[in-house]
Amino acid sequence: MSEVLLSIENLVTRFYTELGVVRAVDGNSLQLGEQESLGVVGESGSGKTVTALSVMRLIENPGRIEGGRILFRGEDLLRKTERQMRAIRGKDIAMVFQDSLSSLNPTLTIGEQICRVLKFHLGLSHRERWQRAVELLAQVGIPEPERRVKHYPHQFSGGMRQRALIAMAISCSPQLLILDEPTTALDVTIEAQIFELVEGLKQAFGMGTFLITHDLSVVATFCDRVVIMYAGKIVEEAPVTELYDRPLHPYTRGLLGSIPPLEGGKDRLDSIPGEVPDLINLPPGCNFSPRCQQAGERCWREEPPLEAPAPGRRVACWKAGEPDG
Amino acid sequence: MGIYILKRLILAIPTLLVASVLIFSLVHLAPGGPIRVMLGDYQDPVLIERLRHQLGLDLPLYQQYLRWVGNLLRGDLGFSITVHRGAPVAQLIAQRISVTLELATFSMVIALLIAIPAGIISALRQNRLSDHIARLVALAGVSIPNFFLGILLILIFGVYLRQPWGAGGFVPISRGLGKNLAHLVLPAIALGTAYAAIIMRMMRSAMLDVMGQDYVRTARAMGIAEGNIVRRDIVKNALIPVVTVIGNSIGYLLGGSIVTETVFRMPGVGNLVINGIFRRDFPVIQAVVLFIVVLRIVINLVVDLTYGVLDPRIRYGAAE
Amino acid sequence: MAKRYVQGGEYELGAHRSLLQEFWHNFKKNKLSLAGGAIVLLYAIMAIFAPLIAPYNPVEQFDAPRGMRNPMPPLSRDVEGRLFLLGTDKFGRDILSRAIYGTRTLLELAVGSIAIAMVLGVAMGAVAGYKKGTWVDELIMRTVDIMLSFPTLVLAIALVGAFGIGSVKLGPFTLSNLVKIMLVIAITYSPRFARVMRAVVLQEMAEDYVAAAKVTGASGLRILTREVLVNTIPTIIVQGSLMMATTVLTSASLSFLGLGLQPPRPSLGLMLNEARDYLFWGAWWYVIVPGGLITLAILGFNLLGDGLRDSLDPRQARRVRR
Repeated sequence: MSEVLLSIENLVTRFYTELGVVRAVDGNSLQLGEQESLGVVGESGSGKTVTALSVMRLIENPGRIEGGRILFRGEDLLRKTERQMRAIRGKDIAMVFQDSLSSLNPTLTIGEQICRVLKFHLGLSHRERWQRAVELLAQVGIPEPERRVKHYPHQFSGGMRQRALIAMAISCSPQLLILDEPTTALDVTIEAQIFELVEGLKQAFGMGTFLITHDLSVVATFCDRVVIMYAGKIVEEAPVTELYDRPLHPYTRGLLGSIPPLEGGKDRLDSIPGEVPDLINLPPGCNFSPRCQQAGERCWREEPPLEAPAPGRRVACWKAGEPDG
Repeated sequence: MGIYILKRLILAIPTLLVASVLIFSLVHLAPGGPIRVMLGDYQDPVLIERLRHQLGLDLPLYQQYLRWVGNLLRGDLGFSITVHRGAPVAQLIAQRISVTLELATFSMVIALLIAIPAGIISALRQNRLSDHIARLVALAGVSIPNFFLGILLILIFGVYLRQPWGAGGFVPISRGLGKNLAHLVLPAIALGTAYAAIIMRMMRSAMLDVMGQDYVRTARAMGIAEGNIVRRDIVKNALIPVVTVIGNSIGYLLGGSIVTETVFRMPGVGNLVINGIFRRDFPVIQAVVLFIVVLRIVINLVVDLTYGVLDPRIRYGAAE
Repeated sequence: MAKRYVQGGEYELGAHRSLLQEFWHNFKKNKLSLAGGAIVLLYAIMAIFAPLIAPYNPVEQFDAPRGMRNPMPPLSRDVEGRLFLLGTDKFGRDILSRAIYGTRTLLELAVGSIAIAMVLGVAMGAVAGYKKGTWVDELIMRTVDIMLSFPTLVLAIALVGAFGIGSVKLGPFTLSNLVKIMLVIAITYSPRFARVMRAVVLQEMAEDYVAAAKVTGASGLRILTREVLVNTIPTIIVQGSLMMATTVLTSASLSFLGLGLQPPRPSLGLMLNEARDYLFWGAWWYVIVPGGLITLAILGFNLLGDGLRDSLDPRQARRVRR
């Protein structure tokens, strides 16, 4: 890891709903180096998207970032004013959301949507902005960009829309690109194309990427390092190769067990019995204990700390490394 | 877009046809029938027979209908049989339509000018004081009947404050636009309040809906300024469903104008049809109702086209 | 059913709550809809017990004392010293009593119209849904579309125009004016029920239990009446309560225009119509009492209807954000 680009320290983000307090992100820390690719893996409700939105400072009511620091190039984003954040969003840190259809304004053309990002961050003349938008579309591999730039989102296919969204995200050459399950709505071939594209852009722009996914097979090809989240907490962290060779947390092992064979097919993580716990009423002890086949007395009673058994590795489990029961 | 307009036009034709059949059958459903009404106390059988023949009432129903529609297409709406005996209904409507249309249009303009900004502000300041006030006013607005509001306004402005424009009546534009509009203010408020309340509520909820959309979050994530997001993302998209409601609620303005004309004693189409009903003037009733329905369908068509302008998904059809 | 964790490391299933309890739980959270319910309840009491509450016979005329003329303002007395809390109308009748009876008639009209509209609409919608795609469906739904293209009040006015004002002779039967107005309003509103009903029937027909009934050899009509209709009742009732407010408005509007209830029957709309002639006398009570009662009734039904809809709306269902 070279220079640290993003460092999240003890982040706590909670949602105050009518039914109680949702501990969406519960005291997590993680780091991302410049030009590094980090994968954040977990089921829905594990807090991975909330972590990303916290970095963007886009947590909306009834959510609140309650503690911790988010250092981006050494500066704490949580201390920035809204105005300063606006200058950072889309310029230094950009985010690509999962559903490309709902993530694009249906009543503005793709060009208009890219141009207004350029306008806010780079200024440029009207003509320069449109020219840049066409270039960007070409750069993300959209054919006939001069024509396509005048089209509306619904006139694009799913894969093309995702490319357009990526074009918008990279329009101001950000240093950090957050990808929130960018390919969930797409089929496997298009998914591969999108990742190939992002990989190329990463090289070209020298961006660090923060990839949120529930699909470990995607992480294997795209990321350098992986963080596994469960019920708002990081349960394991490892370099990609090590994680696959030697997963320490039973949850990770469950996830790895549910990776589909190469041909694809089902890629949901439903092979672990039980469901994600209610984030309002978390179980005592280890959050995973109700679903864990290895759980013992201590797991139900005490919460395991996140420890570093080896350099570059972290795990939160009383039975870390014990073979499956 | 051209195909879209054409499609809408073609779709309106069967609606108009069935509507005309419905309205036509109203007269034939009516107990009594026009001849008895026309002759009043003087019910001479020979005269009845002659009139039946003269009016074509001895023809089979479908022929009568075709004749009626044929006449309609030539602009002949028939003749009044009691209210203005012998006068062509088309002429009666033409004399009064400007009052009704002016009232409805004026109400709509005022209502939209107030309701849309109010809905926007209310949504942007959700659950703050201004939002609560706006919502309470809207709630009162949809609950107060236009005729009650109208009478209250006359009571306040005409009776207590003694304003010349506050006592009802209608001043034609020929006697000065200022006077004309001044006399329209109270009727327009009475008629437009409920309409404004409906639109305001719809605008507010559409705004809130859009504010939760992913593309608004995308715009924020791209660092777009809040004002720009409100204008280009939120308001622009929220207007789409609101336009539908604006169109669908026009019926309320047309129906309500009949009532409002009565309250303010304005010589409009509503006044004509009410008198027609009291005096059982079937051609008048038939023609006015058909006229309002056609007007409604035409306005809806225009609104649908606006929809196409606002929403590119409709303008350009489904995904390629 | 949500799993809820409790102290001690075990977890239990959340207690079952019936749909009704769930509904009440949601409904009572909204103070405004509770207020709406209270208003409606008050009106119902006023309507049911009108003869007990009303101080005078609503059609009895009283003479104004020397130096005064009818309509008399609130707290006036007649020649014999009888007190009129809310004043008198142009014929010297007690406004309070007329207002109470007028409210009763207004509610009778609204409830009756909605009930008839429900029956008509449910029948149309059920048949259309059951015969989906056939010419029967096409015919019914076309008619429904056309009727909906009429502004509500204009359709009601047109129907009164056809029937005529007052009671109607239909062959050997005579429809009383009240029943005729109910029918007029019911016909006006039935298309809305038909639309909702058709949608619900289509939805229900796709459910498993219908398939199951078909497999066991039940006839189509039997399935429709025994199984499907029962399941559509809640939706239709909610729809009915949502439409009460506009029905009250439509019937009051008809009466105001002179096309609805006829004198001497006490009617709030008609009172307002009469009051117009006495505005310049400053007879504000003649306006405020009936108008206020109509407005409050519409407000109550609006609040109640909104509350019912919101507490039954699945979008309001609990959701826990990520």
